[in-house]
Amino acid sequence: MTNNYPKATLEEYGYKDRKHLKKVFHVLGNALVVFTVIMMYISIFTLAVQSVNSSTDITRFESFTLKWYFNMFSNRMLRGAIINTFIVSITATLIATILGTFIAIGINAFEKKKRQSLMLLNNIPVLNADIITGISLMLIFSLVLPVFPYFFGPFTMILAHLFFTLPYVVLSVLPKLKEIDKFLMDAALDLGVRPYRALLKVVIPAIKAGIFSGMLLAFTMSLDDFVISYYTTGNGFNNLSIWVYGSIGRRSLTPSVYAYSTALTVVTLGLLLGNHFFQKRRAKHHG
Amino acid sequence: MNNKSFRNLAKPYVYWLYILALVPVFVMVILSVLKSEGIAFDEMSFSLESFTLLTERSTLVAFRNSFLYAFVATVISVVLGYFVAYRIFKSKFNNKFLILTMLILPMWSNLLLRTEALGNIMEHNNILTDLLSRIGITASIGIKGTPLAVIIGLVFTYLPFAILPIYTALEKISYSLEEAALDLGLPEMKKFWKVIFPLSIKGVVSASILVFLPTLSGFAIPQILGKGNIVLIGNVIEESFRNMNYNFGSLLAIIILFFILGSILIISKTDKEGETLL
Repeated sequence: MTNNYPKATLEEYGYKDRKHLKKVFHVLGNALVVFTVIMMYISIFTLAVQSVNSSTDITRFESFTLKWYFNMFSNRMLRGAIINTFIVSITATLIATILGTFIAIGINAFEKKKRQSLMLLNNIPVLNADIITGISLMLIFSLVLPVFPYFFGPFTMILAHLFFTLPYVVLSVLPKLKEIDKFLMDAALDLGVRPYRALLKVVIPAIKAGIFSGMLLAFTMSLDDFVISYYTTGNGFNNLSIWVYGSIGRRSLTPSVYAYSTALTVVTLGLLLGNHFFQKRRAKHHG
Repeated sequence: MNNKSFRNLAKPYVYWLYILALVPVFVMVILSVLKSEGIAFDEMSFSLESFTLLTERSTLVAFRNSFLYAFVATVISVVLGYFVAYRIFKSKFNNKFLILTMLILPMWSNLLLRTEALGNIMEHNNILTDLLSRIGITASIGIKGTPLAVIIGLVFTYLPFAILPIYTALEKISYSLEEAALDLGLPEMKKFWKVIFPLSIKGVVSASILVFLPTLSGFAIPQILGKGNIVLIGNVIEESFRNMNYNFGSLLAIIILFFILGSILIISKTDKEGETLL
């Protein structure tokens, strides 16, 4: 009668039931993520509230209005600053994306040792303090001043933005280059395609995702930059950051700028979510 | 992919980096041992005046503050950032790109505007307390101008820089390693500490550096949220350049640069190709 012995349970082997603990951790973790996202958006939310407040007083909510949204482009200084910001960011981002992609391909073709030292150099603008980058570029551009007295302005600002956005593109393209099949290029060459044509037709489509994320990062960095722009701009050429900094100093910030900021966030968020649901629906249709 | 002619694509970039990143360092080294009016080299003279300014109490306090604030902000951001990155990594939601983009989206609004807005709601009377009081809730915090306000500002601003590299590092960990750990009977917690955490350490290093360096040298956030009560080294550098004292400013910049070079070396030790930097 051997089957009278009780069966051993998992607990007897030292198994501890931690399912409840796991659940607690799960809930706590999710709560923390939600808390963090709320914290990161609280200033955005405040800006949104201020943008629909009829009073310019930032301590009191008077009544709901959309007038600041209509006034956004009638304030000449603000409009100029917004346009300048986009000109600089878009130009710098486009150039950085194209050059950065080719630079990454170039860096990838070096042997390991050389590649590592190049990446060390590439990381300098990413890790360097904004204020030091700004001052460094100002010093370099100042050296040109005796030859071109009106050198400072949109050109120097775009150059500066290019300087600190390029490394981001290189950093996001390079890992993708390593992921793609080593023999992809060889296959193209075997089929008789010339190297640079193969680059355009085979390699670049394969690293699209990296190029895109690099572009997104470069644009984000460029759009938000204050310190570097502050040191590398010339008289009278303001981007939004510089204009805001001046307005805060004069205590003359118009709520239209809150409207602009809110509109930008809402539109981007809308595009993101729209794209997400569109893709989801398409996946379902094809599913 | 090893077509050697492609190397030519990267060569001009090296010169570009040399000119725009390394030449200014030499200019700053020269400026720091001179006494000059701005960058006008015609009336300059050799002087170690900047070095004597360095030992002034206010400069030392600024240095101490910078390191203290940057350290605290980094620890908080990395711990919080790890939790968030890990949750996103583990979540079953299939469009993780969407969540990550939502985390960097606040950066599209201007940093100074965000900081100013954050500063406003740190005052006793602000637009949110006004709205809350209408529905019968009276709650307010008056912390603007205190160290806490600056720390909060720094953490909120630089948290994305902590989340992204940690997430990238986590994503690279192969799931088969986790399966192996579970097959060997490791409980959830042990699996995390013995397998996942050590493999994500690169991301933690990158995150720490990406938060530490900008907080160490930033000047806008302490200026707005500290109401001028809290002076960090970035504020001193900005002030010296504004007052045309390029010599002292350059010296301070070089000192900061030493820490940055140190960080670059740490990064290159843990992560040779800078892959997890973002």
